[in-house]
Amino acid sequence: MKANPRNVNTGIYYIDGDVASGQGALAAGCRFIGGYPITPSTEAAEAFAKIAPKAGAVFIQMEDELASIASVIGASCAGVKTMTITSGPGYSLMMETIGFGAMLETPFVILNIQRGGPSTGAPTKTGQADMMQSRWGSHGDYEIIAIAPESPQELFDYTIKAFNLAEKYRCPVMIMADECVGHMTEKVVIPKADEIEIEPRRFYNGPRDKYLPFKPDKDLVPKMVKAGDGYKLYITGHTHDEKGYPILTQNSKVKTQKSTTRRLVDKIKLNADKIIELKEENTDDADVVVVSYGISSRVAVRGIEKAREKGIKVGSLRLVTVWPFPDKKITELAKKVKAFVVPEINYGQVVFDVERCSHGEANVILIPHGGAGVHHPDDILSAIEYASKENKKIEGIIEHKTKLEKLIFEEGYKLKE
Amino acid sequence: MNPIITAFAKGIKKSGVKPSRISVPSDIPFEPEVVKHLGVDFFHTIRGRAIAFGTGLKLGNPDLIVVPFIGDMMTIGGNHFVHGGRRNMDLLIICVNNFVYREIGGKSAPIQKCEKEQTTTQKFSPYSTFEKPFNATHLANSCGAVYTARWTALHTDELANSIAEALNKRGFSVIEVLLPGPNYYTSIKETDSNLLNFYYKNSVIKNGEAPRFVTITPKEKIIVGKFIDKERPTFIEQYNAQLSKTLGDKFTPHGGKNG
Repeated sequence: MKANPRNVNTGIYYIDGDVASGQGALAAGCRFIGGYPITPSTEAAEAFAKIAPKAGAVFIQMEDELASIASVIGASCAGVKTMTITSGPGYSLMMETIGFGAMLETPFVILNIQRGGPSTGAPTKTGQADMMQSRWGSHGDYEIIAIAPESPQELFDYTIKAFNLAEKYRCPVMIMADECVGHMTEKVVIPKADEIEIEPRRFYNGPRDKYLPFKPDKDLVPKMVKAGDGYKLYITGHTHDEKGYPILTQNSKVKTQKSTTRRLVDKIKLNADKIIELKEENTDDADVVVVSYGISSRVAVRGIEKAREKGIKVGSLRLVTVWPFPDKKITELAKKVKAFVVPEINYGQVVFDVERCSHGEANVILIPHGGAGVHHPDDILSAIEYASKENKKIEGIIEHKTKLEKLIFEEGYKLKE
Repeated sequence: MNPIITAFAKGIKKSGVKPSRISVPSDIPFEPEVVKHLGVDFFHTIRGRAIAFGTGLKLGNPDLIVVPFIGDMMTIGGNHFVHGGRRNMDLLIICVNNFVYREIGGKSAPIQKCEKEQTTTQKFSPYSTFEKPFNATHLANSCGAVYTARWTALHTDELANSIAEALNKRGFSVIEVLLPGPNYYTSIKETDSNLLNFYYKNSVIKNGEAPRFVTITPKEKIIVGKFIDKERPTFIEQYNAQLSKTLGDKFTPHGGKNG
């Protein structure tokens, strides 16, 4: 399906990433955003609030993030495409309800412009430390999809993709951008409506009395109906059967608990190959591969360039989709390369999965960064140089400190006896 | 819960509203299975979020009539209640008050009446409570609700009438229902009918009473009735008016005529 021209403000713009994401949401057919202002994500909400009413969409400033996310799931149940916009502290508040949305299998998108944490942290500075939270934040077993864009143009494009994935797999989709990308102003091209591919909601259109809200299709994703269409919906966050009814008897509870959570996990895991998008460069003959996402991947480009000038065979693997994690790709590369270099603006999150999937066949080098800034390309260069010289297999994750960190914490913290 | 659902069913019938237009989000304490047979759409949400979820439902499809059934409202969902009222979001709140938070404080008459209730409701405060409870009706009125009423679960006809009236009313309406909590017993059959009767007999109907005077206190009779019924533009009406004014022709009113 193509985008509705009413929602697409075609043109060439010079805007920041947040605004691009707001435009992307509208282009994707988003009809409702409930949000609560939080730096550095506010510009996305502002942009949407300004353009939405002209296209028949609604923005409402809710009383808090708990309400924002609940209203977003409510509106999604009413049959429209929805999104919420937030950052660190607000994202933490949303966690319980994200699990509720995953359990109900309502499609919705969360734009998280990550900032420095923990707590209030560095509101106007960047961070990438919510990556694991996005994956595991709510209690219980469920799977989500997370995308990490690296430029305002990508924030536009991947916001649309996030909506499409949410509708296709009926799960929460997180756009895990960071403050740098959100506040970076660049050229953004909004194409014509007929060049934008939109995934419509998977509405049920069979006989009314045969409808089961949680009966999966072949791809493990069930079909939806709108509230108010006379299907007498019974939807609950309890473990439920295909009818949606909570299971109360002991024996079937055990069985249903297994089958429900198994499907929530498997509908993403088994479709992972279709979901995952990666950008791979020069990995064919590489000795070292830099695995990066978000703003870190843009910084890495210069580091990689410098390393290649020095004659080091280095490739790049950019995780556009961070969750589900590209297990197969990393395992396949681990057999060929000496080492992975993982620059992250945190003290190690996605690197754990890189290490898990490399099965000890390649060294895994983390370049940690405390946030409130990005890596210097030279830090990435020096990690690549180290990786290319190190022939020994070293167990576990090797920490390669940035120059700045070495300067500040020469010795690092040591426990006193 | 059953007496309330019965009154709800009667109310829907009386109001002439098609059940398929009604969506009922509830929060954790209330998951009445009988709701399946009413022909409404039911969403059992998480603790305290029924009003926020309902706000989404209403804005997602303004044709829906959203009736949140809530129990955690005054605590974990308090803020949503306050802001729902402030916005005058078009919701009908059925607030089921089972005194689990001991809205009747101390060694109060209704609770002394029933030994069983006393043992089961005090698990979190085994040495009795001393906190001042909310007057839900007064709070609702202060926040801007356009319709408030309170009935015990045995006032079935009055409750049904109130529900019917409120279903056809636009804006933030709150109906408080007093009911001993069957959820705290093993099954609904064991709900103490004495206590239910006690609430009923110990109540006095005072329609139009000022909400600030209807606090439930241990020694006095429980005041029930319809307290507030006024008009105020709803959120969607105000939204449409404001944006039409600013954007003119570029703006299509949300929800069309029904908004």
